[in-house]
This record gives sequence, C-alpha cells and structure tokens, in this order.
Amino acid sequence: MTQPSGKVSKNRGTKSSNKFAIVLRSIWRRGEGKFALIVLALWVAVSLISLVWTPQSLWATDGYHVWAKPSAAHWLGTDGTGADVFSWLMAGAHTNLFIAILAVIFAGALGILLMGAMVSRNSALSNVSVVAVDALISIPTVLIALILAVPMGASVAVIIIACGIGYGLNLARIARPQALLAANSDYVASALSYGASGFSVMLYHILPNTMPTIMVQLSLSAGTAVLAESGLTYLGVGVPSGVPSWGHSLATSVKFINVYPLTVLWPGLIVTVVVVALNVFGDVLRDAVDPVTNPELREV
Amino acid sequence: MRFVIQRFLLFVAALLAISVVIFAALRILPGDVASVMAGLNAPPERVAQLRSQMGLDRPLVVQYFSWMGGLLRGNFGTSLLTGRSISSTVAMRASVTFPLIVLGLVVALAIGLTLGVVATLTTRSAVRSAFHFVAIVGGAIPALWGGLLLILLFGRGTGLLGILPSQGFPEAGWSSFGSALASLVLPALTVGIIDGASLMRYTRSALGDVMNSGYMDQAMACGYTRRQAALKVGLRLATPQLVSVVGLMFAGMITGVMVIENLFALPGIGAGLVTDLGNRDLIAVQSELFMLAAFFLLVGFLVDLLHRFLDPRLKHAVQGGAQ
Repeated sequence: MTQPSGKVSKNRGTKSSNKFAIVLRSIWRRGEGKFALIVLALWVAVSLISLVWTPQSLWATDGYHVWAKPSAAHWLGTDGTGADVFSWLMAGAHTNLFIAILAVIFAGALGILLMGAMVSRNSALSNVSVVAVDALISIPTVLIALILAVPMGASVAVIIIACGIGYGLNLARIARPQALLAANSDYVASALSYGASGFSVMLYHILPNTMPTIMVQLSLSAGTAVLAESGLTYLGVGVPSGVPSWGHSLATSVKFINVYPLTVLWPGLIVTVVVVALNVFGDVLRDAVDPVTNPELREV
Repeated sequence: MRFVIQRFLLFVAALLAISVVIFAALRILPGDVASVMAGLNAPPERVAQLRSQMGLDRPLVVQYFSWMGGLLRGNFGTSLLTGRSISSTVAMRASVTFPLIVLGLVVALAIGLTLGVVATLTTRSAVRSAFHFVAIVGGAIPALWGGLLLILLFGRGTGLLGILPSQGFPEAGWSSFGSALASLVLPALTVGIIDGASLMRYTRSALGDVMNSGYMDQAMACGYTRRQAALKVGLRLATPQLVSVVGLMFAGMITGVMVIENLFALPGIGAGLVTDLGNRDLIAVQSELFMLAAFFLLVGFLVDLLHRFLDPRLKHAVQGGAQ
C-alpha cells in the first residue's frame, strides 16, 4: 500500500521537472527563443556581476576627463561628471532586473488574487471584484505612478507598485475567461462534491489551468516594466538620482544630446534589446506551454 | 439599453472611486504646498495663514466635497502658485496635446493598418518575418529613445538632415499655423511609429482570425479573390475589435505623450502636469489628474458602447450567456 503511493509522488516529481525541461528545450529549439534565452541569461549574469564588480567605480568622477571618448580605461567613454558610462550601464542592469522581478511578483500576486475573487462562488465578492477591475483597468500605469509619486516622491517603489497594480489588473482580466472555464468544469464540481474548499479548488484546479496564460502575460509585463522605468525616471518620478538604471542613463544623456549625441545610443539600445527579448520570450513561451502546439507536453 | 445604463453606472462609480483615490493620495503628501509657497525660512504663522487662506485647514471631508462640488459646476479651482484658473490653463495645454495625439493617431493608423493588412495577406515568408520583426522591435523602443533618434535624424540644429523643429511650440500658438504644425511633426511621428507597430500586431491578429473563419470561405465562394474578400469583408468584420484597440490607444496616447512633450519642450497637458507636480501645486495636480482619469474612463465607456453597436453578435452572446 505504501509503495504505490510513494511511487506516484516520485513520478509526480520527475514529471514536473520533465515539463520544465521540455518547455525550456522547445524554447531553445527556435531561433528567436535562443536569442531571448541568451539575452535574458546575459542580463541576469551582468546584474549579479555588477553587484560585486564594475570596470570602474561608479563614484569615481574625474573632472579632467568629462565626456571622454571610448578608451581602454573607459570602454564607452565617460559622462558629464567623468564617471564611466559602461560601469553605470552594467550597474543599471541589476536595478532594472530588481524592478522587473518585483513588479512581476506583485502583479502576479495581485492578479491571481483578483482572478480568484472574480470567479469566486460568493456572488457579492465576484461582482464587486469584476466591477472594480473593469473600473480601474482603464487608468494607465503612468497615471497611477504620478498619483503615487505625490506622497512618495521619486523612488523605485513607485515604479514597482504602479506597474504591479496596472499589470495585476490586466492579468486578472486576461486570465478570467480561462479561470471561469475551469471553475465551471466537471472536475471542479466533483472536487466540490467531495467537500473541497474554495481555496483548495483555486490552488489545485483553477491555478494550474490558468498558469500558462499567467506566465506568458507576466513575461510580457516584465518588458513593459523595463520600458516604464525609462519613461517614469525621465519624468522625475521613477528611479531617484544617484541610483544606477538604464532609464537614468538615458535621461541624463538626453540633456546633452546637442553636444554629445552618441551617448544616448547605448542605454536606449540596451532597453530595446532586453524588451524585445522579453516579448519574444513571451511569444515563444505561449507555444511552448500549450499542449496543442507542443505535442511533447502531452506525453508526460 | 440595459447594457448602456449598467455601463454608465460603472463609469460614474469608477469616477467617484478615482476621485477619492486621487484626493487621498494628495493629502498624505509630506510638505504641503503652503510651506513650499511661503518659502524655506518662513515663520510658522505665515504658513498657517496661507493654509487657512487656501482652505487646507478645513476638515478633509469638507475639502473633498467643496472640490467635488466645484468640479460638478465646471469650476476646477485656481492654481495656488499662479493664481490662474486651472480650467483655462488646461484648455491652453490641451490645444497642444489634442492636435498632437490626433496627428499621432493618424500616423499610427496609417502605419498599423497598412502594414497589418499587408502582413496578413502576404504569402511570402520572408516578408512575413520582416513584418514580425518590425512589429516586435517597434513596440520595444522606449518612447524617449525613439524621439531622440528622430531628433538626431531630422531635428533642426543637431540632426543629420536638420529639416524639422525639435524644441518648443510657437508663442503665437495656432495663429501661426505653419510653425505650430511643424513643431508637432516629430513628436507625432514618435508616438505614431511606436503605437503603429503595436496596432499592426492587433490588425494582423484580428484580421487573421477573420480570415480563418467561415465568413471568408463564403465571400470567396461568392467569387471574391482572397485579397478582395479580406479588404471588403474581412476588414469590416475586424472593425469592432480594432475600434476597441484604437480607442484605448487614443486614451493611452495622452500619457504616452507626457514623455514626448517633455522631450520636445511642448507646453501640453503631460508636460504641464509634471511641472505642477514638481511645484507641489496641490489643487492644480489634483484637478488635472482627475480630468485625465475622467478622460480615460469616458473613452473606455464610449469604446464599449461603440463596440457593442458595431458588433450585434455581442448582444446575443451576452443574452444567451445569461440564460
């Protein structure tokens, strides 16, 4: 009696790791998937390295070498204070990664919570949440950020909270049809008839069935968060001065576009490439996690 | 009709909710406008005097209702810093922002619809992937950077071609029509190209769905070629979906242009809001944020009605679902 049950749980364990490996493999197999994975891996690697090492100190300013051309010491030259442009871009990687990850976690938590409320059997809760999501979803993230920035000032938290709220609402709205399908399915009806609680139905039936949509949506949101960072920081309500970020590098170079036009190229290029990678990742992930388009998933 | 009333009630409820959120957020503000106005070393009595002058010492509920009462009568208040009426300031700014987003939308529609239709109809895979690439990269460009690249290319003074103004708006406003329009070309292109790229993706997916439907087979059975069927029947069927997207895009542009207005030094709504925020001009920011939010909610409301009107199938679908 004990042996079979042990075997089942073991199978389940290998099954989920197989699933992950299959998804990753089918992303890697496609050209654009390879591109996305490489860019994202580089982003993470550079972020981690920049925490302990950058070619030049971020705070080493050199008044004799402002706006220096690229050289062996300064790979992309220096900015208006003589600080190393390349080092600041490297360090920006971890701020942006931090913002993207936290915004996505926040959006995921809020979105799943709202989705659960929207498909709940408690009609008061579901009606209120449906109306609330419908009402708030048309308020753009930038506006939420501006409202938040009034009491909070320019801060990383403003970007994270604003993006989290905006993308969370979006996620709930997008995942709702699938969650409803699952909630009205026979297997949920049977689970309920055995006395399963609403919470366990949510956890074991609705969530797994909506997970592919949620994951794809969140990876697209990560890209939007990187874009939002550059816009909000430029508007003065995002990353505060002194904290390295790509939006920050872009915003500072804007002021000197007339004198040093080429310095605006790098931060914008990095943001574009990273956002492309996240969007492509989302697209490829959509096919990779769907059993219809990825037959390998059906076999596990 | 029931749908219209329901949707309208939702619109009003959302307006009320957002007004409370904005009001509450602005009152938690550290360092209120009175102390900013009075100056750095002002005596506390002077600050207190200013506060009572501006009604900031009244209970919050009273402040909220007097603000809302003003809004309902079309009185948005007067700026604490400039003493000018907020409605007239916003109207002045809107005369820059509104033409800008309309121009931007024209560019986005021209790019997005044309490329989207071509991308759906083409059978050559090289062309397809080229369009796919353009759509993905176009949507990933930060607005700020896109604007800078256009300035570097076309801007007078710095640009390679140096043919278009890249900073400011003529003092005379629209009475010097030519230069006013010229100063909006680059900003409108920036907004339009980026939004055009995402509109192209929507067009392609909406039209693609229709192309795979029975309606197309029927149209072709009636003697249309694939292209004719797509243009004459397909586009019309895809219209309701596209109207929704374009409506939201139109509303979204007004925030999209915040960055653009600042970059191109245009005295529009977005740039103005950021300035007022920096000055801690409480009453102005509060009313401006509310007006923007109201604008979004209104567009959302109208888009939903229009969508419903354009696609009668929805009505039956909802009624069928309710039974």
